[in-house]
Amino acid sequence: MTYQVSVFLENKLGRLEKVTAVLKQAKINIRSIHLNHTANGWGILNLVVSNPELALRLLNEGGMSAALREIVVVKMADAPGGLDDLLKGIATAGVNFTNAYGRVVDDGGSALLVIDIQDIPDARIKLGTIGFEIVADSQVYGV
Amino acid sequence: MYWEKELETIDRRALESLQLDRLNSSLRQAVKSPGYCRIPEISKIVKSGMTSIAQLGELPFTTKEDLRQGFPWGFLSMDKKNVVRLHSSSGTTGNPTVVYHNREDLQSWANLMARSLFSAGIRDTDVFQNMSGYGLFTGGLGFQYGVEKLGCLSIPSGAGNSLRQIKLMRDFGTTVAHAIPSYLGRLFEVFKDEGLDPRQDTQLHTLVIGAEPHSEEHRRRIEELFGVKAYNSFGLSEMNGPGVAFECTEQNGLHVWEDAYVVEIIDPLTLQPVAAGEIGELVMTTLDRQAMPLIRYRTRDLTRFIPGPCRCGRTHRRLDRIAGRSDDMFIIKGCNIFPMQIEGVLLKLPEVGDDYRIIIETIADQDEMLIEVEVKKQWFTGDLDFLAKLENHIARLIRDEVLVRPLIKLVEPGSIPKSEGKAVRVFDHRQR
Repeated sequence: MTYQVSVFLENKLGRLEKVTAVLKQAKINIRSIHLNHTANGWGILNLVVSNPELALRLLNEGGMSAALREIVVVKMADAPGGLDDLLKGIATAGVNFTNAYGRVVDDGGSALLVIDIQDIPDARIKLGTIGFEIVADSQVYGV
Repeated sequence: MYWEKELETIDRRALESLQLDRLNSSLRQAVKSPGYCRIPEISKIVKSGMTSIAQLGELPFTTKEDLRQGFPWGFLSMDKKNVVRLHSSSGTTGNPTVVYHNREDLQSWANLMARSLFSAGIRDTDVFQNMSGYGLFTGGLGFQYGVEKLGCLSIPSGAGNSLRQIKLMRDFGTTVAHAIPSYLGRLFEVFKDEGLDPRQDTQLHTLVIGAEPHSEEHRRRIEELFGVKAYNSFGLSEMNGPGVAFECTEQNGLHVWEDAYVVEIIDPLTLQPVAAGEIGELVMTTLDRQAMPLIRYRTRDLTRFIPGPCRCGRTHRRLDRIAGRSDDMFIIKGCNIFPMQIEGVLLKLPEVGDDYRIIIETIADQDEMLIEVEVKKQWFTGDLDFLAKLENHIARLIRDEVLVRPLIKLVEPGSIPKSEGKAVRVFDHRQR
């Protein structure tokens, strides 16, 4: 099971840095970052990191509201049309996600899409049957 | 069952005649002060003597402003050499309000306080930790003398320094503690940070909470966090301090000690008595204070009499929990709103923490009420939709309660500054 760390943040100067400072101190590497915000002055920061459990504990101890959310990470081609091909497949498989963000992998040819979705087991089966590669934790976390 | 059975269960008619006697001597004492001797209605009634409590309604009110104008000695009714203590408000907005006591005054105050604590089931076998500021604020010494009179082992720990409070509780087996309600939430957090649970790691069975209006939901939450019974205490320095009215073990209203005070509830606009059971401003007259009697003092606190007798057998009437202060009320979009109404809604929601702020602003020529609330950590799952729906849900519940739809803003836990002393919840930034 793969997890992202989600953190509740007010949209105020220095709040994001408070999070990254905790991670830096613990030598936790950030692999992907994605920020959501609402019109009411707060938002949610999603992070894929090298050690999500440790990050969760340290952020909570630092007084922040953090939680682990399960994600599915799928591989796609790092080339024009790579995301489009992937999304076509996802739509055909009937998988509706609430949030997604991507990142390039340094193997020179592929990229990853992080998908935040309600029913993870269902998504895994559907994505697997249409032939997409679901990436293993170690590769997602880069450890 | 009772500290003073005869006085506490006195028949109403006997109580009224006792009140009348004491009121006449109180008035005779009051006119010895420069402030009251100037008032013709009072001098007149002192000459003829009152024959019925109802005649009190013919006398003028005393306000906080009167006390400030009389600063410092204007309402002192005896020679300064017989006075043994004064208490005073902070006076951040003008002259402070000062109240003087002679020895007898302090003794009867301590007795009322002991009577109050006894009615809440506190006994001389208890260990009582008073987490209230000592000094000019009456919550320190007021409780101290009462607790000693009752015979508990008292721990005058004073306000703040949560780690030391917890250590004292554990070292000496504190069974009862007194604090302002907004402090107890913070104290609980410190217990948690220390890996302690007050329900298991202390011997507390009772908390006394007061000095700050709070809702029934807030009380229930404190009771749950600490695994205790929490009793509401009411007082104000002008009427001595704590020990004016107190909840008995029935936890259904606060008996106001009518052998020590004549209690009226008036409409703050018309200044006429409200109908039975209606909310209005509490007006009090002291019956057993010699150094500084006060006549028809307007407390600014809003409450009502709870109709009917109490199951505990005490005949002194019960006041409902304070619904706010007549000067805390704010008007927005034509609706009168008390912060307590909003607190009542928020504290029913398990997702929301104890602290909140109400900010009133003018946005695009419209008055808007913005309410900042903290989402409890355990409810955060990283789900944006859930939080957006929660904001909406809170806004709807508050609109149903006060008829104005607020803007709800979720903030990080611990980000609302905890105020020392009485919590300030309302910030009015409107341009006038």
